[in-house]
Amino acid sequence: MAREPFNPSLIKAPKREAAPAQSGHITVSAVTAMVKNAIDTALPSTVHVMGEISNFKRHSSGHLYLTLKDAASELSCVMWRSQAERLKFDPADGLQVIATGRVEVFERAGRYQLYIRKLEPRGVGSLELAFRQVCEKLEAEGLFEERHKKPLPEHPARVAIVTSPTGAAIADMLRTIQRRYPCVDVLVYPVAVQGDAAKSQIAAAIDSVNAHADQLGGVDLMIIGRGGGSIEDLWAFNEEVVARAIHASRIPIISAVGHEVDVTVADLVADVRAATPTAAAELAVPVRDDLIEGVAELALRCRRAVSSRMELNRTHFAGLTRRRALAEPLSAVYQREQTVDEVANRMQRSWSARLHDTRLRLDRLEAIVQRIAPHAQLMRTAVVIRDTEHRLQWAITRRLADVAGRTALARTRLDTAAPARRLPLLISKVGRARQTLVSATEHRMSLGVEHIGGLEQRLAAMGYKSILNRGFSITRTKRGKQVVRSTDQLADCQRLVTELADGTVESEVINLSQLELFE
Amino acid sequence: MAKQKLTFEEALTQLETLAEKIEQGEIGLEESITKYEEGMALVKQCRDILNKAELRVQKIQQRADGGVETVKLPRKQEPDA
Repeated sequence: MAREPFNPSLIKAPKREAAPAQSGHITVSAVTAMVKNAIDTALPSTVHVMGEISNFKRHSSGHLYLTLKDAASELSCVMWRSQAERLKFDPADGLQVIATGRVEVFERAGRYQLYIRKLEPRGVGSLELAFRQVCEKLEAEGLFEERHKKPLPEHPARVAIVTSPTGAAIADMLRTIQRRYPCVDVLVYPVAVQGDAAKSQIAAAIDSVNAHADQLGGVDLMIIGRGGGSIEDLWAFNEEVVARAIHASRIPIISAVGHEVDVTVADLVADVRAATPTAAAELAVPVRDDLIEGVAELALRCRRAVSSRMELNRTHFAGLTRRRALAEPLSAVYQREQTVDEVANRMQRSWSARLHDTRLRLDRLEAIVQRIAPHAQLMRTAVVIRDTEHRLQWAITRRLADVAGRTALARTRLDTAAPARRLPLLISKVGRARQTLVSATEHRMSLGVEHIGGLEQRLAAMGYKSILNRGFSITRTKRGKQVVRSTDQLADCQRLVTELADGTVESEVINLSQLELFE
Repeated sequence: MAKQKLTFEEALTQLETLAEKIEQGEIGLEESITKYEEGMALVKQCRDILNKAELRVQKIQQRADGGVETVKLPRKQEPDA
């Protein structure tokens, strides 16, 4: 059964006036009140009681109930939850302690009790005891065992640091990392490192970095810690919850709390304990210059190995080239060429003769082969076909020409016989007949005219001829046959023909003179 | 050839293996030259990683949704000592 927590305000103060009974009897309450009064008067308000814990009980409400005893007596004690929560160590039976508090009467039970405000182990500090207790517990669970220690990465790319963002510790760590290995990424997880909130913040930070390691780009290593301080200041790193978070971490953890002398539970659970934050940074990252040197060394090793390898091959090759066959690789060939030349010379004559024969035979064979050759046969067939084709074409052309000629002839004859053609013929015949008729008539007429003219001329001639007979003559110009009637018609040297009765005389004008009518 | 996203650790391990292989002489000359070239590429990668001069510091912040985010920590905000 849970006992009611004591609350003095709920207790009604006994009425002193009513306490003494008239009969000399007093009530239970009165006795208790008197005892209470006596105790309150007699005892100081704060007492420090030394004793051994027994009958220790932690009630589910958080209140602690225990009995302090020594060799002779026992004292019943209560510690309310509000005070019990501040205890660093776990009270247990057999523990020698100093309990500080006030002795009061629990009136309902008629019992006096020590109400403990502060409980401290005897001989050791309470924190020291608490530390021991946590250590014992975790050690029993095997959390400190070497098999849990994870090796630290030699060349971390990303380091998470769980610490206060404002302390000297972070500055020391960043400076050290910058100096040694500035090529690393640092993620600072700011937490409180002392005070009531510290333990849960640190534990949560460790869990969170583990849970989100991928999101953070992969975390190779974690450092948790803080700078130096009192044991109370460092206390968060002794808390079980922090120890368990470190133990559960997949990421290797370096713990660096306080100074060299300070060893915390976190240091014991962590994979590596560093004496100080600076030491943690040194453990976390290598020295870059060493690595650069190491890489250069490796590069040199590669280069040497390859070049010695090549040198070896070169020497081997040089050795080979010194051998005669390789030094003068063609001499053997030249020798054989000479032999070949000689043989060739010897064979030249018979060869050329044979060559000739062979050529002839080849030509013949070629001719045969060409005849046999399907290509040649095809060619020949093609020629025959072409020839036939030509002849056919020629025959057809000739036939066509023949037919065309005969057709033309027939057409001409037909044309000739055609009435349309005959009409103009007949017309022209009629025309010709008419012309014949006309010209015949005209001829007849002209004949008549001529006859008449002749007669006329004969008449005329007979007229001037008779004159000529009488001694007259007619002179005419030789050119033009004009009868000369006047000297005006004449010029010097002009030729004249003079007709006489029995002939003609040709003369030339020698002297021309005109009759002067008016002389 | 080696990939681009090797960590320093991986690059260094590969480089060590290559150096040993070339030194042991169990591979042919041509292969050893190829390996040498690979090795030099790895050397370059290692140097590139190491030659980052300035420390990159970020702050992790817990988000309300339970996730985390990182915030660049300006150099001036870093505590001096």
